[in-house]
Amino acid sequence: MKKILIVSLILILTNLLIADEKKYGAEITLTEKTEISKILENAESFVGKKVLVEGTVISVCAKRGCWMNLSSDKEFESIRVKVNDGEIIFPMEAKGKKALVEGEIYSIIVKGDGCGDNCTDKHKSEEKCENEKTEKKVYMIKGLGAIIK
Amino acid sequence: MKIRKLIRLLHRDVGYIAFGLTIIYSISGIAVNHVNDWNPNYIITKDTLSIPENADSTIQSEILTKNLIDFYNISDSIKSYFRPNSHSIDIFLENKTLSVNFKLKQAILEKVESRSIFRESNFLHLNNPKKLWTWVADLFALSLIFLAGTGIFMIKGKKGLKGRGKWLILLGILIPIIFLFLYS
Repeated sequence: MKKILIVSLILILTNLLIADEKKYGAEITLTEKTEISKILENAESFVGKKVLVEGTVISVCAKRGCWMNLSSDKEFESIRVKVNDGEIIFPMEAKGKKALVEGEIYSIIVKGDGCGDNCTDKHKSEEKCENEKTEKKVYMIKGLGAIIK
Repeated sequence: MKIRKLIRLLHRDVGYIAFGLTIIYSISGIAVNHVNDWNPNYIITKDTLSIPENADSTIQSEILTKNLIDFYNISDSIKSYFRPNSHSIDIFLENKTLSVNFKLKQAILEKVESRSIFRESNFLHLNNPKKLWTWVADLFALSLIFLAGTGIFMIKGKKGLKGRGKWLILLGILIPIIFLFLYS
């Protein structure tokens, strides 16, 4: 009994360690990929549509793993994949890896994170203060399933 | 067998089985309770570095990546890189990210380490594995209900349910009710 338990544990751990790709959430059903640049080019027309995208994971929600940003196929572009808290948890180790994500495009209104009224000369030189302080529409993917490799 | 003896016997054995999971769930419970104050899964350290004086952000990203890795004498293998804008580059290494901003003349080397024991506990507590684990977690929850229920009838007399037991149970029920009134 003891031996069986130890062998099973080793097998499970080995399987976890050597798995070079990991699945998250629901199975991916779409076969045709959409380029992220195409989505961002005409995002409004994609709202409510299910897409399959591929990109490099460039950042991950550090505390809850509830979102990750994917690089676009075009320079300087990225898109956020947001998942319901707890349903899927993206690991920090995903940073720099390729991800295949299926999800639905949606939009939200966000306020720019400029310094507002507290802007000092020092702050003004910082990059974040260059952001617009006005509201803008941001397009994201509601992640349903993903494969990170 | 007397019913109280049976209760004690079952309480003891179910308690033994539930021990491991109770510890895991408790550790994770405390950890995620304070998620706004700390990261319960990772230890993230950020070192600010100066950038090479003659650094040119306009050169090809691949060459720029290589130059920067050489400059900082980093031996980790490069996973990939990303240009968030024309004057920045993020280079992804194994559990490290080097973010260089040429405009601010600043580089940040972020190191990510797994917070062992806590991360594994959170993984199970938050039902990250789903599938069969959901049933294990449900069984564990049921066993806690069983332990709570049988625990009440463990002892007879003054220290049992008829004595101080009923007052302590009442206190345990009142605590969440008071907080519900206070915060809802």
